[in-house]
Amino acid sequence: MDRNQIAKWLKSPDKMARKYSLGAVYFCTGCGIIEIPPVITSRWDAERFGVVAAPSPRHANLFLITGYVAVKTLKAIIRTYEQMPEPKYTVAFGSCPINGGMYWDSYNTIKHLDKYIPIDGWIAGCMPRPEAIFIAVTKLWMMIDKDAANGYIRYREHYDYYRRNQEKVLGKLAWPPLYPLNKSIEVERKESKSKEYKEKELLSVSE
Amino acid sequence: MVIKIIQIIVYPILAFIIGIFFIGLSRKMMARIHRRYGPPITQPLIDLIRFFYQKGFSHGSIFNFGIILSLAGSIVVLLFIPFGRMSPLSSSGGLLVILYIMLFAPLGVALSGGEGANPNISIGISRKLILSLGYEVPFLLIILAIMTYYKTTSITEIVKIQQEAGWALFSIPLFLPGIAYLLILPAIIGMRPFDIVSAPQEISSGPMVEYSGKYLALVHIEHAFTLFIGIALFINLFLGGATNIGFFFLKMIVLFVIVLIVNAVFPRYRVEQAIKYLWKWPTLIAFVGLILTKIPIF
Repeated sequence: MDRNQIAKWLKSPDKMARKYSLGAVYFCTGCGIIEIPPVITSRWDAERFGVVAAPSPRHANLFLITGYVAVKTLKAIIRTYEQMPEPKYTVAFGSCPINGGMYWDSYNTIKHLDKYIPIDGWIAGCMPRPEAIFIAVTKLWMMIDKDAANGYIRYREHYDYYRRNQEKVLGKLAWPPLYPLNKSIEVERKESKSKEYKEKELLSVSE
Repeated sequence: MVIKIIQIIVYPILAFIIGIFFIGLSRKMMARIHRRYGPPITQPLIDLIRFFYQKGFSHGSIFNFGIILSLAGSIVVLLFIPFGRMSPLSSSGGLLVILYIMLFAPLGVALSGGEGANPNISIGISRKLILSLGYEVPFLLIILAIMTYYKTTSITEIVKIQQEAGWALFSIPLFLPGIAYLLILPAIIGMRPFDIVSAPQEISSGPMVEYSGKYLALVHIEHAFTLFIGIALFINLFLGGATNIGFFFLKMIVLFVIVLIVNAVFPRYRVEQAIKYLWKWPTLIAFVGLILTKIPIF
């Protein structure tokens, strides 16, 4: 800790503590996870930046999405992201979450991850080197300083948009919404429910 | 009277600072043993501040109450352990009281963790209770040996006798219980090879898995107190305490570094291996020590 940072610490301890203590979710989404063990062990020691692999999403505030996102993985990603306590930051790692990467025409791949959960920063490359993670962390520090890493606020404000996109891919989600939804969507859902109900009724009648 | 009240307020704060310093030291030293640069020594404090500013999820009133119970239990145990000349609550019978209240911390965590419905929590709690069952047996024998040898149950008395007659660790019948205490010390403060309770790679930190935000911060503070209690008790019982705080702190650091080197090098026991070990060697050594104290030639 530098001596000239003491004033900053006294002014906004929450921001500084969030900056210098990043608990990363150790969550294996794709091949990018292979770059994480060298980052957190002795070769490129991430702990000197305050980045530690958190054992549970409840302890974490940084979500590194490490590569290729399948439709099934997306479900786990959303659940993990919603379990993390606010404030939380997401960094997408590798070119696959950005635009599909080499799976650009795959039927089973999520091409634009930021439609489903908010992303604060991207690390491009296939694979990015471990040094790229450190550059991302320092960029994230700058963003936290300027209040630009506001993905969790965007998620809260535009929850309808994200939830609708999630339901478009995954069908009906098994968990209740994290934040209250707008009325229009609830009306839509009720209508669809009544439709299903009617169809079922018709089926039972025909049987 | 006023001095005692001031001590009751100041002692937990001092213990918190020392415990947090020990956690920071352990992270830094572990990093250096792994040939890494390691985090700054203030990293646990930064983590604590982050936890206090993060949003926490509660799982009901018992969840909140259990953490407070374990924290309060730890603080009360602290007040009975002399720290240099500071000993706000210690009187005759202090050792017996410590034996009883030391169980509050694991029980509180078990009570609170049971509310969060996560399978890792129930595994962690059962491991914690099994482990405390494992080290309570040799711990009881060690304390019995000391009480029968010095013929007192007050820790301040024991410290006084040792300052006149030499440290208990290097006296003839009591060096055996001392060695037994050293062997179970990692289990008491939850370090490797006995970190089976909060094994982060196995059961995602066990009972702590559902805590977040300020609840997690309280659990971390409780861990800092546990570290302080385990080490301070050894120094009072076997290394003759100290007349001032600085010297006591020096002894604590030396002992902690020894435990830390074991922690950095050794892997983790499985549950049944830990119980097998704890009920075999430390118990045997402590039992022999207890018998030796009753033989009149020593």
